[in-house]
Amino acid sequence: MSIARTNRMTPYLFLAPAGLVLLFALFYPICYMIYASFLDWNPSQRIGEADFVGLRNYTKLFSDPSFRESMWVTLKFAGVVVTLEMFLGVGLALLLDRNIRGMSLLRTLFILPMMIAPIVVGLMWRYMYHPTVGIFNKTLKSWGFDTIPWLSDGNWAFASVVIADVWQWTPFIFILSLAALQSLPTSAVEASKIDGASGWQQIIYIKLPLMLPVLIVTFLLRLIDSFKVLEVILVMTNGGPGLSTEILSLRINRTASEFRELGEAAAMSNLLLIVLLLLTFAMFIYNKAQDARAARLRAVEEEA
Amino acid sequence: MKLNRNKVWSAAIAVTLTYTGAAYSDGHTADVYAPYEGTTLVVNFPAHPHYNAVLDVLPEFTEQTGIEVEVDQLQYLKMRERQTLELTKDEGDYDLISYVVFSKADYVYADQLENLAKYFMNPALADPNYDAEDLIDGYVQNIGVAGGAQGYLPGPTGSLFGIPFGSETSVLGYRKDIFEKHGLEVPQTYDELLEIACKIPELEPGMGGLASRAASGHQASHAFLLHLAPLGGRVFDEQWNPTINNAAAVEAATALKTIIDCGVEGSETFGPAEAAASFAQGQSAMFLDSIAFAAGFEDESRSTVAGNVGWALHPEGVRRGSQTGGFGIAIPSNAQNKEAAFLLMQWLTSKEADLMIAMAGGNPSRFSTYENPEYQAAYAYAETFGEALKYADPNWRPIIPPWGKINADLGTTLSQVLTEDLDIQEALDGVAERTRATMEEAGYYTWQ
Repeated sequence: MSIARTNRMTPYLFLAPAGLVLLFALFYPICYMIYASFLDWNPSQRIGEADFVGLRNYTKLFSDPSFRESMWVTLKFAGVVVTLEMFLGVGLALLLDRNIRGMSLLRTLFILPMMIAPIVVGLMWRYMYHPTVGIFNKTLKSWGFDTIPWLSDGNWAFASVVIADVWQWTPFIFILSLAALQSLPTSAVEASKIDGASGWQQIIYIKLPLMLPVLIVTFLLRLIDSFKVLEVILVMTNGGPGLSTEILSLRINRTASEFRELGEAAAMSNLLLIVLLLLTFAMFIYNKAQDARAARLRAVEEEA
Repeated sequence: MKLNRNKVWSAAIAVTLTYTGAAYSDGHTADVYAPYEGTTLVVNFPAHPHYNAVLDVLPEFTEQTGIEVEVDQLQYLKMRERQTLELTKDEGDYDLISYVVFSKADYVYADQLENLAKYFMNPALADPNYDAEDLIDGYVQNIGVAGGAQGYLPGPTGSLFGIPFGSETSVLGYRKDIFEKHGLEVPQTYDELLEIACKIPELEPGMGGLASRAASGHQASHAFLLHLAPLGGRVFDEQWNPTINNAAAVEAATALKTIIDCGVEGSETFGPAEAAASFAQGQSAMFLDSIAFAAGFEDESRSTVAGNVGWALHPEGVRRGSQTGGFGIAIPSNAQNKEAAFLLMQWLTSKEADLMIAMAGGNPSRFSTYENPEYQAAYAYAETFGEALKYADPNWRPIIPPWGKINADLGTTLSQVLTEDLDIQEALDGVAERTRATMEEAGYYTWQ
């Protein structure tokens, strides 16, 4: 009897150390952050000295037009950036999924932007966008076109940070898609060839559906990351002009260091976390639904 | 931690030698420092030209007093973050800190800085020849004193928490060659300033009038406040009602917009470094900002305009009012060697050390340094800067805990004015309304 119980307990015993680490390394900081979001906490105070204000930080946020603007900028930025990167990254992977000489060198070149420190990327683009000495405006001028106010006009500044982000992170999607493509079962592709599928048909009906699980994970990773971009935008525009590029992580950073409102910053971080969790769950559920549908279809086929 | 054992800058040696003799011939001086001999002070300084000069002079302090100094130098915004954490500890690591002027409100309010009265009262510590009258008054009031009028200004209830060290004011730099070529007069008033700023691009195609900071946030707000004080405006009236949308404020914002419109292309996104670079590279004919940039313009390796830069007072609107800012030094309440730290603080801001640091490229904190013939000979602009300091305005921006938030809102809104052609009055009305809400929440209207 007791042996049976011990046996049942054994796996938990082995899991316990990992669980403890998780508890302290993950849940403790999150709980701390959640607790902090209910406080009126100034960085000059210890957490014990801060006043408990209940949900005030949250209600304040929702009535703060700057926060709403910043939320909107974040959603817009993440949406645009990830869509562009997915199209470009997967497109590039499809184009380069063949035996080209020097492929490994090319691959290394492609992922170079990803390896550069974000601050450097920000500085680099900032100088390239410089109104007078930057390469873009200089080139435009020498070709006789009007110069573009890259960082000094709200809409252009948004486009500029999008371009920089796409430049840096498309390779991430490219490299994962390429790996997925190269591990596809050749039998399916060959079978489609024998059935006379054209190149496009192969991509749309065979390759993309088979890659889908990898693409979804890639999409999710990129989406989560794009919600948290900070350094590149901080260096390039610092959120300006006006609030046109002030994404949420930048606002959180400013709230904590410039406005010295740690409680409000924690509340914003929690909201960001909730948004990300919702997105992840939605994706997860969609995935499950897809799997279930596929299983049902298979079952129907087998019966027939 | 960075231990500094820099070689004393050659000119500084020459000056110091004179004073070392004096210090040692006076038996008192040696006695004062004797109890603290062998103490190691840990100080927190920003990475800033003034403090680089201080590092050159510090070995002299150790030699004279036997007190060792270990310097932790950080970028100034990082420095503030570190201090925020450091000052809440029971026992701090820093004995002396340099603080950015806008930290004064936060630190004093949280009771984290030592009131200096008890040190200046202590006959064993206070040097009778310190001559506090000689310290630049605008700086002392703006950076050192808290607790007087409106809480952050001097007044009957105020007291001293820090001493200005590495402080700055604003002056107008202009291109002598360009002004001469076109027979332009150096602007004395705001009307003249704006007129010339917009004339330059016509006279010198491709050149901007006045280089100014304007980037969204703190920079735009700073640039606006620079014009607000001389044009007769204030952020608040004496009852803390926002006056940031009155006629003077609209005039200041209009002036800023004119300056940016007549400035070099893309100046809407300039920070102070870019504005200075635009002047140093000959792309702008004037520069209205801190005196801290002056030395850089005369450095031929970084500036193409060296030798052609003239300096004048910050132009006058309805009154003269140049900015006050930069750094001060203070003793944290949780410091472990407070008395020795006071001695270091007193030594660094003494007449002798102030001159040594100024000769090594630092910003003087004393009128006597600006009047010193040796300093004037070494730095041509010294006289003008000394004159400008008489008009340094301690109240050009409020130093209160909610300021960070108001500053950011003001700065982003002004950036919208500059880049999106938002109506100025409407924009400032919005800022005033949000400022009122922020102040209400912070309890500034409790007594009304």
